[in-house]
Amino acid sequence: MTKILELEEPKLLPGDLAIWFFIFMELLVFAIAFIAYTITRAQNLEQFNEFQLTLNQEFGAINTILLITSSYFVIRAVHAIKLDNVKACINNLNIALGFGAGFLLLKSFEYYDKFSAGITLSTNTFYMFYLSLTLFHFLHVILGMIILGAIAFKAKRGNYSAVNHFGVESGASYWHMVDLVWIILFPLVYIIR
Amino acid sequence: MKNFIQNKINIHTLWLLMIALTLLSYAMGKFGFSGLISVLILLLTAVIKGTIIIRDFMELRGVSLLWRVIMYGWLWSVSLSIAIIYLFST
Repeated sequence: MTKILELEEPKLLPGDLAIWFFIFMELLVFAIAFIAYTITRAQNLEQFNEFQLTLNQEFGAINTILLITSSYFVIRAVHAIKLDNVKACINNLNIALGFGAGFLLLKSFEYYDKFSAGITLSTNTFYMFYLSLTLFHFLHVILGMIILGAIAFKAKRGNYSAVNHFGVESGASYWHMVDLVWIILFPLVYIIR
Repeated sequence: MKNFIQNKINIHTLWLLMIALTLLSYAMGKFGFSGLISVLILLLTAVIKGTIIIRDFMELRGVSLLWRVIMYGWLWSVSLSIAIIYLFST
């Protein structure tokens, strides 16, 4: 009976509380941008449907897989450090960084393709949204990679262990947020018509 | 059966599931699927992937209800807003 009445304490948020406030703020900004895109699309249906076809859906899908896979290696790094396996943590972070770099490379090809065709922010409303949304996300990927790189560096210096892994969890949470945003962005901008 | 399924749910299988769902979204775009049903399927796919990210990758399973409400609330409110605006635009 007493066992039934015992209430389990909720788990604490992984990582530092400050990073979570930063994540909530970022998510709010992206939510506003997504809703603004959807409303503007509804007012310019023909233009959005026409120019969406000029986007490279293959690159969009591959980039989604790259980010998801990167997130997968980040959670492996978190699990490794919780088991005090610093080497596996560093290796997984390095692999995650490699997939992140793959994302940046592929997205850069996409931008090069568009910019060399003379497309800019002022080409039309669709491209204004496409470029601003994806470039804003691109900057977040760069920031996320800097954070993961710093964590890998600190892990190499022996700053993390099974007892002290708050830093790894904080950086991992930020990286997963970058992935979460892209998971909405990909179907919204590349697929939905 | 329930135990068998639970044993198979881990970060490795969830990662593969997310890749499969991404390929499904890509195929829907490639084959030119459009309309409300397609949009709902695409958004549901995104919600499933987002739930996996929040619950299993961010490891928010079991944290205080407030944090879960914020994160899942974000995912669902963004997805539902897109669906509702899409519905009124067609």
